[in-house]
Amino acid sequence: MDLQNMNPSSLKSRFATRFLRALTKINAQKPISSSSSREIFQRYRRIKVAADKSMAYSVRSRRSWSRATLWRLRTRSPRSRLATLARRSSVKTRTTRAASHGATVVDRKSHGKENKEDGGVEAEELRELVPGGEAMDLCNLLDETAHYIKCLTTQVQVMRTIANLYSLH
Amino acid sequence: MAEGLRTAEQQRNSRTFGIEMRTNELNSAAEKVGNCFLSPNWNNSMDQSNPFESSLSSMASSPSASNAETVLPGYGDNVLIRKLIGRLENICDSTYISSQSLIKPSNNTPLNSIPKLNLPLMDSQIIENLNLPFSSDPGFVQRAARFSSFGGLNSSLGSQVKFPDSLDESFVSGKIQDSANARKRKSIHRRKAKETPSMAAAADAKVMLQFSSANYLDFCLSCQILIAPEFQIVAESNAKRSKQDGADEEHNGDGETENDGNRKQNKENSKVAEAPKDYVHVRARRGQATDSHSLAERVRREKISQRMKFLQDLVPGCNKVTGKAVMLDEIINYVQSLQRQVEFLSMKLATVNPGMNMNMEALLSKDMFGSHGSIPHTLCSNDSSAPPFSFGYQHQQGLSVHNAATGNTETRFSLNPLIPTLQKDRGPVDRLINANHQVGSFWEEDDLHSIVQMGLGQNQSQNHQAEGQVTDAMADKGVQELGRFAVEENNKGQQQKVEFSKVVQAAKKVDSGTKYFLRIDGSENGEKKSFNAEILVKPSKEKEMLSFSAAKL
Repeated sequence: MDLQNMNPSSLKSRFATRFLRALTKINAQKPISSSSSREIFQRYRRIKVAADKSMAYSVRSRRSWSRATLWRLRTRSPRSRLATLARRSSVKTRTTRAASHGATVVDRKSHGKENKEDGGVEAEELRELVPGGEAMDLCNLLDETAHYIKCLTTQVQVMRTIANLYSLH
Repeated sequence: MAEGLRTAEQQRNSRTFGIEMRTNELNSAAEKVGNCFLSPNWNNSMDQSNPFESSLSSMASSPSASNAETVLPGYGDNVLIRKLIGRLENICDSTYISSQSLIKPSNNTPLNSIPKLNLPLMDSQIIENLNLPFSSDPGFVQRAARFSSFGGLNSSLGSQVKFPDSLDESFVSGKIQDSANARKRKSIHRRKAKETPSMAAAADAKVMLQFSSANYLDFCLSCQILIAPEFQIVAESNAKRSKQDGADEEHNGDGETENDGNRKQNKENSKVAEAPKDYVHVRARRGQATDSHSLAERVRREKISQRMKFLQDLVPGCNKVTGKAVMLDEIINYVQSLQRQVEFLSMKLATVNPGMNMNMEALLSKDMFGSHGSIPHTLCSNDSSAPPFSFGYQHQQGLSVHNAATGNTETRFSLNPLIPTLQKDRGPVDRLINANHQVGSFWEEDDLHSIVQMGLGQNQSQNHQAEGQVTDAMADKGVQELGRFAVEENNKGQQQKVEFSKVVQAAKKVDSGTKYFLRIDGSENGEKKSFNAEILVKPSKEKEMLSFSAAKL
């Protein structure tokens, strides 16, 4: 049992604190119990954005993918919810995701193609998954992917814990 | 050329040998150089002399001489290069005329040209100073034997280039003496010559032709050309030499740099390439091409494979996967599954009523020390015995709740509460449930719990008595006292007084004494705030406040 082991500046704690703060803010806005499904959906959106945002902020700008995420969040936040929803809902389909990102990243892609080694079709898919991956060559892409995976796992752990704590009353 | 070399030196000195950097430039140069150096067909090399010249100058001017990486790992000795150039120029000037006369009356060897004489000179210098692949020893040895007729020339040369008399000796007598300073330019010539008449003849012819041009560059070229094949030959005979990492210092080692040169030059001899010590040093391996392109490719591939290995460790279940494409597929699937999990969890969080006030206490107290928890609800207990597997990642397999429940006998998490709340989404539920009993193995729940507690900032009383959490901080008078003490201590040093309200939560750790981490509700300047305080209570019951800070809510 170690509070002493806790590293207050570890990625996990940074993310957890930020995310919890955001979560409490979101929850404070409306009572959950009476929410309609639409409201729940909206809340889900907000929570997801908060999760991504807090993770990106926890990583600061040290990583290319976090910079890309922050940039995305900043430029996309003023847009309509629907646009965001459309984008988000296409997450599960690689092709649609590529299409939705196409407009924003087409410039980067045209630049990036020269830099990119051909890692194959998979590398392209990976680039779509990892934020900011479009303009990276395979080497850096793998680096970013590794860090991104680590952060995603942290995110999942923290969120799962919180969800469990919430639900276990 | 000298200027080009000088700038090249400076650049080389920066030791930026990144192959990637100047691959194109070097490729052309290196290929030509490589061809010249490595091709045993010297007739061709003569034809390539011009391209060689251009390649040499381009190589000289291109700082990162990727060929140099394999061939000249320590290349980058400005001063010596300058000296070398100076000497070469001197030699050219002084010996050109005299050598003309010498060439005709050839005695023992067909080639009595000064360039040959100077080759050892240049070779040694080059090799020592620049750590070129040209092994000076064997070449010098051979030439020394051949140039025994150059007695007269030696003196002039010696005066020009300040060579020791040993040069005269070696050339006049053809003696070969091993010396400890064999690596130094002077002594190189003493080595025993190992004759390869055919090669020597060919080389001689080349040199003669080169020499006749009386062009400084050609001279250098001829040196290079002559050096290479001889070194190849000698390399075979000197296969025993130890390898040495390229260094740009003058090597006083025993033929090590020459050995390096030999190895790099001589594919047959180089058995195993050392793994590059750092990314700039790449050795040509046995049977592999040494041109810059393939080297760059190889370095890149190695980098990528390194990263793929690392990713293999990250992505669970990828141990048996080999091959880049399959691995990438796995990675993609994993990233997708993680992203989906995040979405699912955020959906879950959106739907779940936090009800934090109500049961957080129970939750947190149980979770906190989760350890080997007897508590059935403790999902997040440290399930160290849980199979270390890829949580949640088996999305391909439709894991059923049943599997999840039976898969881990130590699943403490009761699935029941989850299931009703997640009726809408069976898939993720399966994943979540399956993953749940693995959560413990993935994080130090203690950290997270304490973070959660602090982050939540709720009034919580802990029922569970253990180190770390103080049970029922609200009710614990001692803890409240500590809180008051902390506030007072803080107020002593502060302008703005903090008014103590209550200790919201407390955690303690037994160290050299007991350390209390308190969360205090108070008001500062009339404004309600929360504070974090650390207090150390020593065994002597003496209290000491370690820190007091406003907690960001």
